[in-house]
Order: sequence, then C-alpha cells, then structure tokens
Amino acid sequence: MRWRHPAVVCLIAALGLVPAAGKAGGVSVRDAWIRETPPGVAMMAGYMALRNNTSQSQVLVAASSPGFETVMIHRTIVKDSMTGMEHAPQIELPPKAGLLFAPGGYHLMLLNPKRTLRAGDRVDINLEFRSGLRLPVTFEIHK
Amino acid sequence: MITTVALAAMLAGVWLAVTYRENDSRAMLLPTQGMALFPDPKSLSDFALTDHQNRVFDLANLKGKWSFLFFGFTHCPDVCPTTLAILAHARDKIAKNTVGAEGIQFVFISVDPNRDTADKLGQYVTHFHATFLGVTGDNAQIGNLAGQLGAAYEVSIIPGVENYPVYHSTAVFLVDPRARHRAVFTPPLDAEAISRRFKVVRELEGDNAA
Repeated sequence: MRWRHPAVVCLIAALGLVPAAGKAGGVSVRDAWIRETPPGVAMMAGYMALRNNTSQSQVLVAASSPGFETVMIHRTIVKDSMTGMEHAPQIELPPKAGLLFAPGGYHLMLLNPKRTLRAGDRVDINLEFRSGLRLPVTFEIHK
Repeated sequence: MITTVALAAMLAGVWLAVTYRENDSRAMLLPTQGMALFPDPKSLSDFALTDHQNRVFDLANLKGKWSFLFFGFTHCPDVCPTTLAILAHARDKIAKNTVGAEGIQFVFISVDPNRDTADKLGQYVTHFHATFLGVTGDNAQIGNLAGQLGAAYEVSIIPGVENYPVYHSTAVFLVDPRARHRAVFTPPLDAEAISRRFKVVRELEGDNAA
C-alpha cells in the first residue's frame, strides 16, 4: 500500500492534477461529484466511490469542508413508501471493499455553501476515519 | 391508499402481461418494472393549488395535456434534484423523439409550503428545465391531490429547527389529458425508459385520451 501524505494530495488536487478524487492511507476515492443546485438552495449532496484497500475495516465518522457550513453523512431511506433522510453517524468500510455514495443512497449532505457553486467548480471535502486517517477529496460540481 | 395503489399497480401489471401476450406485439415495449399503467384510470376531482407565478393551478390545468407530477420540497439534497434532473432529460427526449413538447407538462408539487414560496419554487424548478412548473398551496389542498394520486408524504415541522425532516413519495405520476391518473413511474427512474414508456402509453391511448 502506497502511503501519500495528505498535504501532497491536497497540493496535487489544488493543482488540478487529480480530478475529483483523493487517496490516503490505503483508502481512495474516485468519481467524487456534487450536483449543481439552483441558486439560493442551501442543501447539496456529495457522491463518491470509496475504496478501502487496507486489510482492516475503516470507519468513516465525519466529514468537513472549508466550502460548506456543515457536512453530514446521510442516507436516503424509504419508509412506508416515502423517502427521507437519516443521519448515518458512522459507516464501516470492510477490508478490501468498496462503498458507493450515490443518488438515492448514502450521500454527504452539504449545508450552506459559502459561495455559489457552478458546474465545473471544485471544492475540497475532508473525510475523517475513526483510525485518525484524514482523507482530503476534491469534488467536482456537475449538472 | 398506499395499499390500494400498490394493489392496483400489481393488477395493472398482470392485466398488461395477459392482454399483450395475447393481443399486441407492442407489449414487448412495455416493461414489467418501473411503470404501472392503470387499466381503469381514476378521474381526478377538484383541487386548488398555486403555481410559481402565483397563478391558480387546479383540475383545469391538468386537462388537454399529459402531466408528469412529482411531490417533493426544495430543501431536499438528494432525491428531488436527482429526480428533477432525470425528468428534465426525459422531457427533452420526449420532445425530440416522441410527440413534440406541446402536449406535455412537468409539475413539481412542494409538500413544504412553509419554506417553499412561489419565488423559491420558480427559481428551483426552472433551474432543471425552463418549462418546469412549481406548484404548492395550503396543506389541505396538497393533501387533497396527493391523496387522490396515492402520494404519501409527511412533514415534521419542529419549532426552532431549520432543517426539519420531510418524507415524500418518490414516484412520478402520469395524468392523462382527461385528468385521469393513468400511470405511475417508480424508482429507479431513467430518462430514456420514461420517454420510451410514455411513447407506448400515448400510442396505446391513441386519440381516446385527448
């Protein structure tokens, strides 16, 4: 497992060399994107494909971003034929396994963006794991 | 109501399978999942809502065109934007491939009038497609239309809590030009499938529905 210093990943991401992705400590993310929302909408959702390449479980416990007031791990659920959201306090990624954050399922709920985000813009979100691992991920805004 | 709709959907599915296996090769085009077409569509009755330009939106607005109705709210980060983006693609496909855009409308009905003002709704729906209509009203009237379509929803306003939970149906309801509840599309929704299925429904209806 190659280990990359988060700062290096950050720098590379900032230079735009790693598109919509991130990787640290054996956990990687690709296809990280946020759906563009109408102006004035305070809630967005972040999606990504997480991969745990280590031989231990990794537990995602929090996320934060300089681009949003609040980031929460949420899951869309269906209850009595209705859909709603519930807070997922932690999500376990089993060893050598992937987990998809996708529309209709797990997503990062992004509250109150600090600036208007348009298709093509990028914003960094830091994923925090129980092990102490911090994974910075660059998300791209898509239509 | 939910049970009734589910049962009707099941019966419609069985009816379709039987009817088309025997009679109509176009049955191949009608999938068994993702859409239920009601063989005996229910006529909707009066309701009174308001669109995002503060115009009356009532039963008369459902007559003379096919309507795709979706219930949601603008403080909805995942399902509503996803569904509206899919419906925008579906509308473009229908307009291009099927029948033109004259006889169709897409209506987003907010179940959260407390936060979704006409202005906010307008800004929201037109972001996804310039032709989309946002509609809301008082709780009794939203409940009236939702009840007629079998669209469940639940708004749990908590005093002092900005982002209170809202639960709502994920289905897209198809109302025909005689204001009858003709079909329901259920997730996972897909623009191409909606466009294709709608084309078949229209062909089956012929001029009867107009």
